[in-house]
Amino acid sequence: MASAPSLAASLHPATPTDTVPRAELSAIDASTKWPALVFIVSALVWLLIGTVFALIASFKMHSPEFLGNYEWLTFGRVRSAHLNAVIYGWSTNAAFAVAFWLMARLSRAALRHPGVLIVAACFWNLGVTIGVIGILAGDSTSIEWLEMPPYATPLLFVAYALVGAWAVITFRFRKSEHIYVSQWYILAALFWFPWLYSIAQIMLIFEPARGTVQALVNWWFAHNVLGLWFTPIGLAAAYYFIPKVLGKPIHSYYLSVLGFWSLAIFYNWAGVHHLIGGPVPAWVISAGIAASLMMVIPVVVTAVNHHLTMVGSFGALRTSPTLRFVVFGAVNYTLVSLTGSAMAIRSVNEITHFTHFTVGHAHEGMYAFFTMVMFGAIYYILPRLLLKEWPSAALIRAHFWCAAVGVTIYWVDLEIGGWIQGMQMNNPNIPFLEVVHNTLPYLVTRSVAGILMTIGHLAFAVNVAWMLAAKRPAGATAPTLFRSPPAMQAAPVR
Amino acid sequence: MNRGPLIFLGIFLALAFSWTGIVLTNQIQYGSLTPYYDANEGRTFPDKPSGLANQGRLVYQDLGCMYCHSQQVRRPGYGADEERGWGERQSVARDYIYEPRVFLGTMRTGPDLRNIGSRQPSTDWHYLHLYDPQLTSPGSIMPPFRFLYAYRKVAPGQASPLALKLPADYARQHGLDRPGYELVPTPRAEALVAYLLSLKDTYVFPEAKPYVPPKPAAGAK
Amino acid sequence: MSAEGQPNPRLEQAGASDEQLQRVHAILLREKPEPTEGYSPLPLALLGLMSALILFSAIYVGRYSGGFSPMVYDERMLPGMQGAAAPVVLDPRVLGKRVFTTNCIACHQTTGLGLPGIYPPLAGSEWAQGPEDRIIRIVLDGLSGPITVEEKQFNNTMPAFGPMLKDEQIADALTYVRSEWGNKAPPVSADKVKEIRAAVADHSGAWSPAELLKIP
Repeated sequence: MASAPSLAASLHPATPTDTVPRAELSAIDASTKWPALVFIVSALVWLLIGTVFALIASFKMHSPEFLGNYEWLTFGRVRSAHLNAVIYGWSTNAAFAVAFWLMARLSRAALRHPGVLIVAACFWNLGVTIGVIGILAGDSTSIEWLEMPPYATPLLFVAYALVGAWAVITFRFRKSEHIYVSQWYILAALFWFPWLYSIAQIMLIFEPARGTVQALVNWWFAHNVLGLWFTPIGLAAAYYFIPKVLGKPIHSYYLSVLGFWSLAIFYNWAGVHHLIGGPVPAWVISAGIAASLMMVIPVVVTAVNHHLTMVGSFGALRTSPTLRFVVFGAVNYTLVSLTGSAMAIRSVNEITHFTHFTVGHAHEGMYAFFTMVMFGAIYYILPRLLLKEWPSAALIRAHFWCAAVGVTIYWVDLEIGGWIQGMQMNNPNIPFLEVVHNTLPYLVTRSVAGILMTIGHLAFAVNVAWMLAAKRPAGATAPTLFRSPPAMQAAPVR
Repeated sequence: MNRGPLIFLGIFLALAFSWTGIVLTNQIQYGSLTPYYDANEGRTFPDKPSGLANQGRLVYQDLGCMYCHSQQVRRPGYGADEERGWGERQSVARDYIYEPRVFLGTMRTGPDLRNIGSRQPSTDWHYLHLYDPQLTSPGSIMPPFRFLYAYRKVAPGQASPLALKLPADYARQHGLDRPGYELVPTPRAEALVAYLLSLKDTYVFPEAKPYVPPKPAAGAK
Repeated sequence: MSAEGQPNPRLEQAGASDEQLQRVHAILLREKPEPTEGYSPLPLALLGLMSALILFSAIYVGRYSGGFSPMVYDERMLPGMQGAAAPVVLDPRVLGKRVFTTNCIACHQTTGLGLPGIYPPLAGSEWAQGPEDRIIRIVLDGLSGPITVEEKQFNNTMPAFGPMLKDEQIADALTYVRSEWGNKAPPVSADKVKEIRAAVADHSGAWSPAELLKIP
C-alpha cells in the first residue's frame, strides 16, 4: 500500500512520512499486545527452565555422578527434557509471537479476537509442561525431537490449529497488494509444521511404520522442524528487522524469491543426512546428501541479499541491539548451513557422525542463529507492545556478549572436540575409553560456555521483568540503545 | 509475489515432493519387509525377541539410552565399526523389523550396541556395569543406574542367584557389605539386561553381504 | 478498530490525552518505514554456482543410488549390479543334522557315541560307514537282535523311521552321519532311499543284523 511514498521515504529519510500507515501500525501493535506478551513471557520462562536442564545435562556428561542417584534426572531423560523445553517451549513460543506480530504488521491487518490466541498459548504451554514432566517421569518416546508422550501432544495440536488459523485469517484480510518476503516464509512455516508433526505422530507413534522406515520418517520430521519451521521464521524476522532498523530496502527481490523457493525445494530432502551409513537404502541417503549440498544455493543467496542490504550501514551495529542480535544470527545462519552442507559429504560424515560435532552444529543453528534472531526480535517488539523502553542498556549489553561469546565458544569447542573424537573413533587402535577420556576437556569447556549463556539469559530475564513492572513513563521516550547514535539531527536509528 | 494461491501451491508441492520421496516411496518399497526364510536352517531370521527382552526395550526407551548409544553398524571400510568388533557386517533394514520402536541413535558417546548381545554375553558384567559403570569401565562417563537395583535383606535360605558380586573394597567403601544383605537387580534391570543380550545380528541376509567393488582389469586405463 | 483503553492516534477522536499521543507518536515516528524490496538483478556468478551445483548433484545421485533399489545399502554398488539373488544352495549336511537332532540323538547322542552297552555308537562305526543298502534298510524298518559294532556287543531294538521320514530326510541324515565325527563314507542319495523303500515294501518288521550281513 502506498508504495511510492514509502519508497520515497526510504530514499530520502528527511521526507515526512505518512502518518496514516504509522497510526495503523500502532493500532495493529495494540491488537497483538496481549497474545504476543503471553507468548513472549512463556517463551522466556521456558528459556530459563531449558537452561537449567541444559546445565544439568552438560555437567552430567563430564561428571556422571552429579545428581547421579535421581532417576528422574538421569542423563537420557534430562537431556530430552532440555531439548523439548527449548524447542517447543522457548523457540516455538517465541516463533509464534514473532510470526503473528510480523504477519499482522506486514499484512497491515489487526489481529481479530486476540483472546483466542491467548487460549492457544495456554493450551500450548500446558501441553509442553505435561510433556516435559512426562519425559522426566519416564514416558519419553525416545524418538528424537518427538519425545513428549502421546498424552501431551493433542494439547499442542489444538493450540497450533488456533495459531495457524489466526495467522492465515490475518493474512487473508491483508491490505497490501504486495506480499513481502517475510510473509512467504511465515505462511510456509505455518503450513509445513503441522504436516510434519502429524505425519511423524501417525507413522512413529500411533501406527508405527515397520523397521527403519521409522528412522526416515523421524529425520524427515526432525530436520524439517529445523529447516521448514524455525529457519523460515528466523529468516522472516531477519528480512524484516534488518531493512526496518536501517531504513533501507532489501537489496534484491529476485534474490529473495530465489532464496525462498530453493530453500523450499531443497531443505526438506536434506533430513536424510542424519542417516548416512545407516540401515536405509543407499539411494535415499544419496538424495539427502545432494539436497544438503544444494542448500548452499539458498544460503549463499540469502547471505548476499542481507549483506548487500547492510553494506554501508555496518555502523548501526554499534547502536541498535535489535540489529546486532539479528545480524549475529544471520551471519551464523550462513556459517552453520555451510557447515551442514559440508557435513553431509560422505567422507566428512565418516568422521563427524555420532560425535559431539553434531551437537555443536545443532546449537550453532538453534541458538547462534535462531535464538539470537528471536532475542533481537523481542528487543524490538516488546517496547512497541508495552509502550515503554528497555530499562537497562547495560543488561542488554551483558545479554548480548554473554550469549554471543558463550555460544561461539560452545560450537567451536564441540566441533573441534567432536572432530578429534570422530578421528579417534575411526582408529581402532585407540581404545574406546581413551577416546571418551580425550573428549573430557571439550565437555568441560562446553559447561563453561553454558554458564556464560545462562548469565546472558538471566540478564535478559531481569530486564524483561523490570520492564514489565516499571510504570509507563510520561511523555516521549527514547529507545534504549547500546550507545547514542552519531548524528542527532537525523531520526535516531532503532 | 502477489498471488496468494500460487504461493500456497508452491509451498504445498515443495513438502509434498519430499514427503512422497522420503516417506511414501520408502514405505512402499520396503515398509512391508518380511523375515527371511533360510531353507537350510529351516526357519526365519531375524529372531523374534523374547517377552522379557521386549520389556527391557521399554526400559531402554524410558531411560533414554539411545541418546548416547547407537544401534547401527556401518559398512566395512566406512568408519572402524567392524574393526572395533561392533559388528561383522553392515546393519540392514531387515534387522529391525521386529522392533516396535527403532533405536538407531545418533550419538556414540558410548559404543554401538547393535551386537552387544554377542560381544558381551555375560549377565554378571552387565549388572555390574549398569550399577556403576566405573566397576567395569574405569573412566567411563556413563551415569550410574543404582536406582535399578535394591539393597535388601537376604530371606533365609533364599539368596538371590542374581545378587551382584561386588569387589570387596568397593562394597566396603560404599556401605554395601552389610552381612545378611545383598544387592539385587530389580525386574527392570533384569528386563533391560535381557534386552541387551538379545541384540545380536548373527544372520547374513542376501542384501547384507558385503559389496566387493570389482577390481580393475590388469593394465586398465 | 480501536482497542479499548489504548491511545488512539487518530486525532479526531476525543479521549486520547496529549501525553499518550506524544508517547505513542514518539515510538512510532522514530521507526523507519516498513521494509520494502529493491530490484537489483541476480549476480551472474550466482547463476553459475547454481548450475554447477545442480549438475554435480544430479551426477552424484545418479551414480550413488544403487539403481534406486531398496535392498542396496552400499552406495558404491554400480546401478544394475545388485543382480539376481544367488540361487539358494541346500546343504544336505545341515538339513541332515536337523533330522538327526530331532530323531536320533535320544539314543545315539549328539556326539554319535551312543550309550555303552545299550545303544551302539555311530562315530567310527563300520556299520554306519559300510554299505548303504544295509543302513537304509535299518532306518526304514528298524533293527532288532544282537549286533557287533566296533568290537562291542549290543542287543536292542531300534524303531522304524520309514513311515515318518521322507526319502530326502533319510538320505540327508545318513549323509550327515557318514561325514560327521570323523566318519568318511560317501553320501546317500534320496533316489537310492526311494529305490530301497520300494524294494523292501514286502518286508515286515525290523531287520536282524544276520539278515543284513547277507546283503553286500
